[in-house]
Amino acid sequence: MTRNEFWGHTRRLVSYAVLCAVTFLVCFPLVWAVSTSLKPKSEIFSTPPTLVPHTVTLENYKALITGRPQYFQSGDQQVTSGTTPAQFFMRWFVNSMIVTLGSTLISIVISTLAAYSLTRFRYWGRTVVPYFSLLGYMVPSIIFVFPLFLVMVQLDLTDSLLSLVLGYVCITLPFCMWLMWAFMRSIPIEIEEAALIDGASRLQVFWQVVLPTALPGIIAAAIFSMIVSWNDYLFGRVFLNSLDNLTLTVGVMLFFEGTHVDWGLLMAASVLMTVPMAILFMALQRHLVAGFGAGAVKG
Amino acid sequence: MRPSYTLSDRTVGLLFIAPFVTAALFFMIYPVAEAIRMAFYSYNPLRPELSTFVGLANFEYIFRDPLFWDSFWQATVWTFLSIVFQTVFGVGIAMLLHQALAGMAIFRGLLLFPYIVPTVVIALIWRWIFNPEIGVVNHALQGAGLINEPIYWLSTPSMAMASTIMLNVWKYMPFVVICVLARLQTVPLELYDAAKVDGAGIVRRFLDVTLPQLKEVLIVVIVFRTIWTFNKFEEIYLLTKGGPGTSTFNLAVYSFEQSIANLRLGVGAATGVVMMVMLSLGSIIYLRVSGFGEDERAS
Repeated sequence: MTRNEFWGHTRRLVSYAVLCAVTFLVCFPLVWAVSTSLKPKSEIFSTPPTLVPHTVTLENYKALITGRPQYFQSGDQQVTSGTTPAQFFMRWFVNSMIVTLGSTLISIVISTLAAYSLTRFRYWGRTVVPYFSLLGYMVPSIIFVFPLFLVMVQLDLTDSLLSLVLGYVCITLPFCMWLMWAFMRSIPIEIEEAALIDGASRLQVFWQVVLPTALPGIIAAAIFSMIVSWNDYLFGRVFLNSLDNLTLTVGVMLFFEGTHVDWGLLMAASVLMTVPMAILFMALQRHLVAGFGAGAVKG
Repeated sequence: MRPSYTLSDRTVGLLFIAPFVTAALFFMIYPVAEAIRMAFYSYNPLRPELSTFVGLANFEYIFRDPLFWDSFWQATVWTFLSIVFQTVFGVGIAMLLHQALAGMAIFRGLLLFPYIVPTVVIALIWRWIFNPEIGVVNHALQGAGLINEPIYWLSTPSMAMASTIMLNVWKYMPFVVICVLARLQTVPLELYDAAKVDGAGIVRRFLDVTLPQLKEVLIVVIVFRTIWTFNKFEEIYLLTKGGPGTSTFNLAVYSFEQSIANLRLGVGAATGVVMMVMLSLGSIIYLRVSGFGEDERAS
């Protein structure tokens, strides 16, 4: 082994070691959450704590997914714990899905149409709108959440999933608009012109030529919209009341009510809440990075 | 022959932009305008008919409220320390990831993952691992002999502040990593070769070659993150509710508490207006340093 090769190997080894250590530290909170969620109650409080559970149990996940009431021993009787947040978990999961997909769909449709219009037609204000939109997306939600809530009161939509869909459109649309505009602008107009000369109508061109080309931009915008909607707490907290209508983020915070916190259950809920975002992230990671590049990102 | 923009084209253009304009009017412009109007009114959501114009009284109220100024300074400390640590760790991790090693995609995926984890989930995990009696962090620190007494992470003012900063740094560090990594990939390799020939070591190469190249992207990232971090709500509220006492209040939490707990929507809105003014100042700086929209003005 030459001296150079030796240094090359050592360098690589050190690099890997540092990388592994950093990655472990960054991922530790998540790993610990997964580990806790798989432990039986007795092991959760054991000292010293165990990273890899001695006994692996899916009880916590079962309780959340089947939503059955939990039983515990009181004297020689089995008593239920009454209505617990865990019973609503799957319902909240579905609610979160509905508002996330609904608001994303609306945001994407509106912003794609608008971005096409702004980049392909000439009319007053077409250069101002995207910047105005960017400005809108800089405004923190805490500022307009209450006025928006009062709008929902006037529309008689409070405590409904529809109010939340509209609320999320409101926070995701400015960003989607900006991103789609930046993307549409970069698509050369010549292909469309060629298609138009060949006799295609404007709508055909939009549907068959522009949309397929704009797909990466649409995916990036959709990912961001979904992350923002799925992760939001504030709007759900202000807009919703009844247990049946809550979204996951608002609902799971209720696990803290009552005298006793079931950490195993709570960590299982945390893991299940993260899974859809994790799948999205793994499937579309490179689009996510592309989205970052397209402009600064709300978050 | 270029296709002319005919009347039907114009109609398509207007039809495409119409949904955006409608959504913007009802769900963006109106709520923000309403938020500004409310700042000049005394508004109780339970008795909306009694709302009266009070001029600058809400602003007088907040500027005389010691809690407002506490929130302001705590937000400043929170923002400053969060940004410093995010930037340092972000650049460090980006440098680590910017190496030609096998398996880098996996490391990158794992290190960027925190960004998509819902804030609610992070807050729950934080409450669990930083639990004073049964949390793993205190266990580890005591096991390593670094502390003798458990640290009360979330119930002493300074430690609660430290915990929220850690949460914030952990969640948004990937943002810095992605921006820096994208820039690193465009740094010409010749610069490093030249520096090597001149005998510059690793540290010198970082200070003299890498850092100057990163200067622009770092300024943009820092300004942007500062604007955002200052107005964060969920990252603090979900972990500490602004407590213990009011020791982790920032302006967003202050505004929320005034609106929800005290039902003084006017005071909450006035706080929002102050936040918006500071945001606008920050945005002007952002536009200056990033040179945004200059190509537009030129054309």
